[in-house]
Amino acid sequence: MAEELLDQVRDLVDGVIDFDGQRRAEVFATLLLAVSGLLAFNVGYTKQDILLALYIGGAGTLLTFLVVVPPWPFYNRNPVKWLPAGSRAASTG
Amino acid sequence: MLSMLQKPRQAAAQVLNFALILSSAFMMWKGLSVISDSPSPIVVVLSGSMEPAFQRGDLLFLWNRNLLQDTSVGEVVVYNVKDKDIPIVHRVVRKYGEGEDAKLLTKGDNNPSDDTELYARGQDYLVRKDIIGSVVGYIPFVGYVTILLSEHPWLKTVMLGVMGLFAILQRE
Amino acid sequence: MHNTLNRFQSVFGFFTTVAFVLGCFIAATDFYAERAPSGTLKVSNLQVVKGRPHYYSSVQEEYAIIKFSLDADLSHLFTWNTKQVFVYVTAEWPAPKSGVNATNEAVIWDSIITNPSADHLKNIGPATMKKLKKSAQGKTIAPDRGILSLRNQRPKYQITHPSRKIADTENVKLKLHYNVQPWFGLLTWNQNQDIGFWKAIKGGVSAPFSLPSIKKKN
Repeated sequence: MAEELLDQVRDLVDGVIDFDGQRRAEVFATLLLAVSGLLAFNVGYTKQDILLALYIGGAGTLLTFLVVVPPWPFYNRNPVKWLPAGSRAASTG
Repeated sequence: MLSMLQKPRQAAAQVLNFALILSSAFMMWKGLSVISDSPSPIVVVLSGSMEPAFQRGDLLFLWNRNLLQDTSVGEVVVYNVKDKDIPIVHRVVRKYGEGEDAKLLTKGDNNPSDDTELYARGQDYLVRKDIIGSVVGYIPFVGYVTILLSEHPWLKTVMLGVMGLFAILQRE
Repeated sequence: MHNTLNRFQSVFGFFTTVAFVLGCFIAATDFYAERAPSGTLKVSNLQVVKGRPHYYSSVQEEYAIIKFSLDADLSHLFTWNTKQVFVYVTAEWPAPKSGVNATNEAVIWDSIITNPSADHLKNIGPATMKKLKKSAQGKTIAPDRGILSLRNQRPKYQITHPSRKIADTENVKLKLHYNVQPWFGLLTWNQNQDIGFWKAIKGGVSAPFSLPSIKKKN
């Protein structure tokens, strides 16, 4: 019983996404953070307002966390097709 | 995590990896210490005596070499009171003489009077040797974590607990 | 990236890098902002009195009270990265004994001028704070706060010398200095030469004067 509960918690913490999803998550993270950094700098510099730059950067980072960290379903469109366990087609060794 | 004990080589590799990270960080810190000639090249502001310039939790970068000119009036310096281990970050307001023997007086921007009362008994002025660095750079807020951890030690236990929890809950 | 924790760590790590690079860019913009400060200093009143350093000391020291007038334009120092400008006036005089190239310098007056982004950090009462914030008129930087005009200003500090004597000192000059405290980056002071876009203070030094003798009480 305890083992099942632990497994369920593990599943939650793991948040597995497929390989294609992982690649896309990484691209999103890099893009979103870089863009929010550039935007924060440019808007802040034009308006000469450092607090504005801070808010834009902070908002962009928060957005990145929301988009990349939780295992959204659109990251799981190409799930790995595992072979059935104990199948004869498994490779030797 | 219990499987660690069954794979001693993997466990050893992880320990060595961790030790490598720790020693690299230590080397960078000591390297910076040598370059800036200061025993503590990066300090966190602990008191409010230099407000509004510095707030508690700000990070200061120190430089202790006088390459272009002597430490002069107006510079913000960090010094230790004789025989005490409390570093104080204040501004130099008076300087009499030149070089190593110059007499310096400091004062916090937010304090009404100068630091004469903070100095050791019978000591009216500081000399260059008492100063462990002059502030050259500044990053706001980032040091606040260290203040939280030192003033609320139970936070350290909570942090270790959370890290341990994650270690157990992770799948290999 | 196969694990929630992994993704969190990766995003956080990249965030710190981006934040640091952004900070460096902000600090770098300061070097492209032109600085052309100027100021005139005039002594308006001189006095040397005797006094004790603390109420409990047995020794007496001589203190000089130097009142001055100041007109300065430090508006260029206020950029988006400026947190505050610490302005200070010092009295500087050479050591009387020949041979040693020694000077004495003491701050007689200082003032902290904050940019509106740092107004909330100043330690002043609520009424003064309201007035300060209103004076910014919603602007994010306030170069007009850098225009100083003081007449017959009473000094904040009465200065002395370790020898406890300061009367009749000759060749004393008042000098204007500033220290710019940024939100991120290097602290900068007034410089003696022009560096890039930053010019040295125009003027900012008073004519040399001598401190008087102690006033004799009748």
